[in-house]
Amino acid sequence: MPFIDLRSILRGTVSGWYGDLVTRSTGHAVRCGVEEVLAECDGEQVAVMDFSSVRLLDLSCADEIVAKLLLQHGRSRPFLLRGISEDHQDALEPVLERHGLAAVAQDRAGGVRFLGVITNELRGVLSMLAERGSAEVEDVADHLAVPTAAAREVFDELLERRLALADAAGSQVISLA
Amino acid sequence: MTRVVEVPGHFDHQAFDQFAQAFGAPEDERLLFDAHATKWGSPYGLVGLLAAGQWLMERERPKPLLTIPNDRDVAHYWARTGFFGHAEGLFELHGKVPYVAASGSSDVLLEVTPVRGADDVHSVVDRIQDRAAAILHELGLEAQATMGFAMALSEACQNIVEHAGTGGWVAVQTYHWRRRLGRRVAVIAVADAGVGFRASLEPTQAQRVGDRWSDAAALEAAIFQGVSRFRDPGRGQGLTGMRRYVGRWDGKLSLRSGTARLSIVPGWDDDVPMADGLPPFPGSQVQLIIPAQQNK
Repeated sequence: MPFIDLRSILRGTVSGWYGDLVTRSTGHAVRCGVEEVLAECDGEQVAVMDFSSVRLLDLSCADEIVAKLLLQHGRSRPFLLRGISEDHQDALEPVLERHGLAAVAQDRAGGVRFLGVITNELRGVLSMLAERGSAEVEDVADHLAVPTAAAREVFDELLERRLALADAAGSQVISLA
Repeated sequence: MTRVVEVPGHFDHQAFDQFAQAFGAPEDERLLFDAHATKWGSPYGLVGLLAAGQWLMERERPKPLLTIPNDRDVAHYWARTGFFGHAEGLFELHGKVPYVAASGSSDVLLEVTPVRGADDVHSVVDRIQDRAAAILHELGLEAQATMGFAMALSEACQNIVEHAGTGGWVAVQTYHWRRRLGRRVAVIAVADAGVGFRASLEPTQAQRVGDRWSDAAALEAAIFQGVSRFRDPGRGQGLTGMRRYVGRWDGKLSLRSGTARLSIVPGWDDDVPMADGLPPFPGSQVQLIIPAQQNK
């Protein structure tokens, strides 16, 4: 599983002195650094982007790094945003919403958050999944109190949007967090 | 020939239009910016004054004169903000520039600082955060306001880097705004002498807006529709982010460009949301005011 420490990428691509992810040009450089790491990893693995040591994330960098990575790679690879703060979330939410994107994130206490454009129905299933770790279509149907066919659509949407993983048999969805 | 440009006695964003009127449309005459009677200069006034000097310098006009305020306290305050250090490159200063030792306890959160590129934005954001945390806490704002403040500052500065086509200036300060609010405020002021919103957005927006296209329409498009001169759909989020931030903390955001000023006006202020037909002034000027919370 590729683990990407954004602060380290920042130091390696822009400057060892900076602790903040701000400005478009910085975001572009960091995204290129992340893409170099991803290019060396199996495309199906969850890419964990760690924000724990990032102090400030502005909208420009949130867009340039997270939104563009999800737009360009989010259909082929799941991403987990780890170590996010309330402030990071304030920058990430509007950026993801603007592009109609969604992401699974984990705060510094380990709590799971779902950012961006996610229906209440999907949010509920993602919460259930985060608690249980995995679920089958029938579990989704029970949780939503809908027929299996309708649950299957939600199940498929989770996988298509890369908000969860499928097990090898394709019968279960697995939480990213 | 020398033409006098009077610097208003109370030189803040409200008096800026008077300053812009006096600045006019300089040609080859030498300008004398007369601040000898100025009794107060806000960060907005100071960065705007530097932008005027910068505009003249970039057009290779005669180096303008600037008379320093006679009032000792005012001159000392201007010195504390670092204004004179930058002004001496743009103006021929007349009067005694006070020597002021650097002080970490100043209400000047960020001295007047030039912004030319992304490195400057990093530097500004880095310098503001520790000091802002302490000061904003004094204003009764939650810790979360600090990062938002730094984020708004970053976006305001990037507006220069990305759109002005030249450099600009930023200053951040707290002061007691007795005249209007009776509370302490934290203020971010940013000014540049660049192309302004209308020229920046014209290639992508003018046709869509048609006959209504103007400085006012450009400001509306930037702040309410989040449009940008870039075709990248992710662009143009900075100003809308600043708008959200002031909404959350009951603050005020003003953008002036060309002949228009758009403001996000909180309940404590009686400014108009859009002032059009103002005296023209080069570039764009942004001010963000965050007031102390009511119980402070």
